[in-house]
Amino acid sequence: MSINRRDFLLKTGLGLGGAAAAGGFIPGLGYINAATAAELIDPLAAKQPHFPGKIKSVIWLHQNGAPSTLDLYDYKPELERLAGTPVPASFLKGIKTSTQGGVSKLFASKQRTWKQYGQSGAWFSNLLPNLAQHADTLTFVKSSVTVGATHDISILKLNTGDLNPGRPSLGAWITYALGSLNPDLPPYVVLYNGEQEPSAGSVNWSSGFLPAVYQGTAFRPGESPILYLERPDLRSASQQRASLDLLKQLNRFGGDRRPSDTELRARLESYELADRMQTAAPAAVDLSKESEATLKLYGIDDPTSESYGKVLLRARRLVERGVRFVQVVSGYPSNISDQERRSWDAHSDLDGNHATQARMVDKPIAGLLTDLKALGLLDTTLVVWASEFSRTSWGESGTGRDHNPWGYTQWLAGGGLKAGFTYGETDDIGLQVADKEKGVDTYDLHATVLHLMGLDHLKTTFLNNGRSERPTVVYGKVVKELLA
Amino acid sequence: MLKRKGIYIAVALAVSASAIHAEGDTKAAPAAAAKAVPNGWAYQPVKQQQPPAVKQQKWVRTPVDAFVLSRLEEKGIKPSTEADRATFIRRATIDAWGLLPTPEEVKAFVNDKSPNAYEKLVDRLLASHHFGERQARRWLDLARYADSSGFQNDATRPNNWRYRDYVIKAFNDDKPFDRFIREQVAGDELWPDSQEAKIATGFIAGYPDNANSRDLVQRKYQISTDITDTIGETFLASTIGCARCHNHKSDKVSQKEYFQLQAFLANTSFDQRTPLAKGTETPWDKKFAEQQAKYREATKEIRDKQAAILKPYREAAIKYQKERYLTDSRESIFKPESEWNALDRWVNFRHKTVFNPDTDTAGYLRLTAENKEHQDYSPDRAAAWKEYQKLQAELRKFDNLRPIGGSVNITAATELGHSDSPPTFVRFGGIHERPTEEVQPGIPTLWGGDKLEIKPTATSSGRRTAYANWLASPNNPLTPRVYANRVWSQYFDKGIVPTVADFGRAGEKPTNPELLDYLASSFVKNGWSVKKLHKEILLSAVYRQSSEERADVAKLDPKNELLAVYPRKRLEAEEIRDALLYASGQLTDVVGGPAVFPPIAKVLEGGQADFDGNRQWTVSKDKADWNRRSIYIFSRRSLPYPLLQNFDPANPSQAHHKRDVTTTPLQALTLFNSDIVVNWSQALAGRIINEAGKDQAAQLSRLYQILFSREPNKTELAALKEFLVKEEAIVQKKVADGKFEAAVPTGLKDPSVINPVRGAAFVDLVHTVANSNDFAYRF
Repeated sequence: MSINRRDFLLKTGLGLGGAAAAGGFIPGLGYINAATAAELIDPLAAKQPHFPGKIKSVIWLHQNGAPSTLDLYDYKPELERLAGTPVPASFLKGIKTSTQGGVSKLFASKQRTWKQYGQSGAWFSNLLPNLAQHADTLTFVKSSVTVGATHDISILKLNTGDLNPGRPSLGAWITYALGSLNPDLPPYVVLYNGEQEPSAGSVNWSSGFLPAVYQGTAFRPGESPILYLERPDLRSASQQRASLDLLKQLNRFGGDRRPSDTELRARLESYELADRMQTAAPAAVDLSKESEATLKLYGIDDPTSESYGKVLLRARRLVERGVRFVQVVSGYPSNISDQERRSWDAHSDLDGNHATQARMVDKPIAGLLTDLKALGLLDTTLVVWASEFSRTSWGESGTGRDHNPWGYTQWLAGGGLKAGFTYGETDDIGLQVADKEKGVDTYDLHATVLHLMGLDHLKTTFLNNGRSERPTVVYGKVVKELLA
Repeated sequence: MLKRKGIYIAVALAVSASAIHAEGDTKAAPAAAAKAVPNGWAYQPVKQQQPPAVKQQKWVRTPVDAFVLSRLEEKGIKPSTEADRATFIRRATIDAWGLLPTPEEVKAFVNDKSPNAYEKLVDRLLASHHFGERQARRWLDLARYADSSGFQNDATRPNNWRYRDYVIKAFNDDKPFDRFIREQVAGDELWPDSQEAKIATGFIAGYPDNANSRDLVQRKYQISTDITDTIGETFLASTIGCARCHNHKSDKVSQKEYFQLQAFLANTSFDQRTPLAKGTETPWDKKFAEQQAKYREATKEIRDKQAAILKPYREAAIKYQKERYLTDSRESIFKPESEWNALDRWVNFRHKTVFNPDTDTAGYLRLTAENKEHQDYSPDRAAAWKEYQKLQAELRKFDNLRPIGGSVNITAATELGHSDSPPTFVRFGGIHERPTEEVQPGIPTLWGGDKLEIKPTATSSGRRTAYANWLASPNNPLTPRVYANRVWSQYFDKGIVPTVADFGRAGEKPTNPELLDYLASSFVKNGWSVKKLHKEILLSAVYRQSSEERADVAKLDPKNELLAVYPRKRLEAEEIRDALLYASGQLTDVVGGPAVFPPIAKVLEGGQADFDGNRQWTVSKDKADWNRRSIYIFSRRSLPYPLLQNFDPANPSQAHHKRDVTTTPLQALTLFNSDIVVNWSQALAGRIINEAGKDQAAQLSRLYQILFSREPNKTELAALKEFLVKEEAIVQKKVADGKFEAAVPTGLKDPSVINPVRGAAFVDLVHTVANSNDFAYRF
């Protein structure tokens, strides 16, 4: 998977005859396999994993703003018991907090109730009644840890593994390593619910130092998901066809003079691909042919979950069509005007905030899992619930919680995993990972996702300015305990 | 691979004595050790090179040709024939300016019978302000230039355009490159009275930043890391950043040596509010100040009322804000100034920079007013907050009076008037929380290990001066090699060292070391003149060669390393936009000034404002600003300009060395469907009709002259004419269906020259031709 080879061939446009395209000997390079040869012509050609992968696609559910997993999955009777009292010093050992003169008192919501579900007996709070029905589908990581106290840097880390912008996101790495399964659609799509693209968004789906072809494409809400997808109003379909035909002709005249120039040929073909994408992309996100029952399943009949439900239904349709990585950034329901409820970031009024946010995602995510299962897609798809961090056991402003990177819950669901399984735990008040050895950092999560796709995170490399870079920087291990 | 391994082993043996001890003891590794590294070619002194003797002496136009030709002759490959003059002028104008030549310029050059026709052309290209604009773009790639800070709030950096303009001017004035380096790394120390030199430090001040970080001490580390790595990569093509977390795996640089480099920056702060010197205001500054005065005047009453509301809470708010920092930051923040050490000074200045008493007090008031459970809540606060919000709504009505773009300040590095530096520590595994041994500034042994004399000034540590002088020293072999190689790679797609960003052992070796040394030494000898370097390349026979494919070269030199064929190349993102804009006659040719905001899709504009009240994207009011060259478009780190985004532009988060070329359907969609490109096609069609008149053949010929600097050939003409007939019929049918909606030529002097149906078909033709490979590439 060395980029240099492709790079110079594409750039010089020399030395790549028809024979090479089928695999074979290239002067100066030696023998190359067919996959590499295909890659030489199309950087998005499907590529072989390092070993057979369990899954083909990932739906990455970024819960933006950091939900309190203490109020969703991580049931702590001790926290309820101690609520209103100061945090015992023993729990604070080893962490740097951002509050002068000690932290506030422990906090537990009076509205929270807990129940165990499924054969696995996983705990869910009353905020997620629908998702709870999937208790035996999920694989919990209750010992997640990360770095950072502010959203932006921890969101960057969640997606790219670094605290500074500039590295490729996980989706970009996967696209680079495995290529596309459907040339008519972008292989890496970003979805969001809300009127605006998430702020500081694009660095979180950037290709970093990888070529731009591997960056995420943000799909806009509405019928025409991609910027510049539609032909201008003034141009009719037949005008466009005639133009494309002329373009092909002109590019062929030029190409005839340079028969071994694959890059020029690729550009000629890119217009035909674009033409197909014009039909394929809107069709992929068109929900009009989905049944009433399906819409209901995703909570599209409820104004609070409607926008997120639509986004997840789109995610399923994209995965069905071979999109490799769908990154979903949670936003807010269209009926919410309160700024404080536009993400999970509940520094105050946690009850109000989480009531909205949980209701927004609960049915849609449960629906997505049900739907994927029914279509037989859950075996080859990985759904990940991820967040930049979670929230503290102590209260903030009396009714909210502050940021907690020291111990929280994320989960995975899909092929290759132990379903209905929980790995790791937090301490008795849900603040820090109980057993540090079992801490799962972003890099470990990324390594595990790559492993499920058949990629060894240590071998997924790209030579950038002489540095051999990999998705997990210099860290990371596959969490084998999660694997079936 | 085997061969490489062999070398590696040899290296390991040769340097083992010093390599093993390098970690623990830098003194044990004298400068001479580097010379023992066989693979460390880049660190050896630059050799004076005489052009080698060649058989085809007549082919040689400038000395570089002899170096290239000698290699070709060894392999028995003939250089390619000369590209015709029209192809040449298009190539050279795109490379030097990032724009197309006009048909008149092409004609004049093609018909110029004088013996120095090429030289006249090259001198003209180098003398134009477009030269600086184009070269600055590539320099800004390296400087990870942006008009915003990055991260979630991605705050506007209102002064950064001054640095961008400094770079453009430096190239246009042919500022000696060594001076250019010194100013950018240590301008504030070396020339404390020069505003220009201070603005130049915008190079190091361009780090991505996160103003709301609660860990100021860690921020300092992150900033030093960014600058250390950027300097190493940009000037020295060294992937020094690898050594931050572990001893470098391929280059012999220890972690300790890495942190010795960070130590050069230990005392450096950045001031974004140094007032612009009186008398140096540009027209934009005057306009900005005027507009700001208007806004302040109109809103004074409201803002005074707001200030009065906030006043009683200010002290509590400041305390609250300060308390929200992490432990070690708090230690500095709460220490009395009389007890400050160098680190405290840095932290407190940083705090002052990111802390805004007005917005932070408002934020605090809101927090304690909206939430009845908050311990500081009181009904008074709730009322005050309500009143404040009301005034805020009033204030917003004056938003259109706010000046867009510009400032009254400059951004510059500063050592805050002190010469003592905070300590620098090695960080275990690169982890901030794990400092180990303290280190002093020093140059890695691999780079010669020179002992630098650091002379503190009254107001500064002198550390950056020492580093800058070393970087810009005529004896430093890396600096001129690295830059000469970059310039070469701009013209020939690949560098003489193909890994332009890595001259270390993991990088590739020079394909023609003698040529590289020749360029590097003559660059220094010519007073580090960048223009002379460009001129020598532009006038060479290598650069004049045709780019037509050759089967013999494909066989004998498949990588085209020897350059027997001129490498054709896709235009870079900005070149595509600028060239089309220029061809359409719409370019607003103004050099410099605050960044501009052409319209973008509404969904991207963002309603959110940063802490200073700047919206993500506020479309420029003056439409002429929409048509400025791409280098002037506001570079927001979180929002790449959509029209350019898909064409592999620089990623402004890190030093960007090489423009990739990827080919994707999203590029096709952008060029084919963007209303902006359609508008340019309409304007270009209009321009052509104005210039060529009614005659169809003349129009087609003019189109090809403008876009491709040539005439259409017979096959092309036939296809174009056939298309026009077909397209006219399609458009005609639309008319017959009762609706004539089509893009027609714009800017026509005499609209009666062409009927709208034909005009619409012609626009489609122009638009299609502008989408073709012949436009997107320079051959």
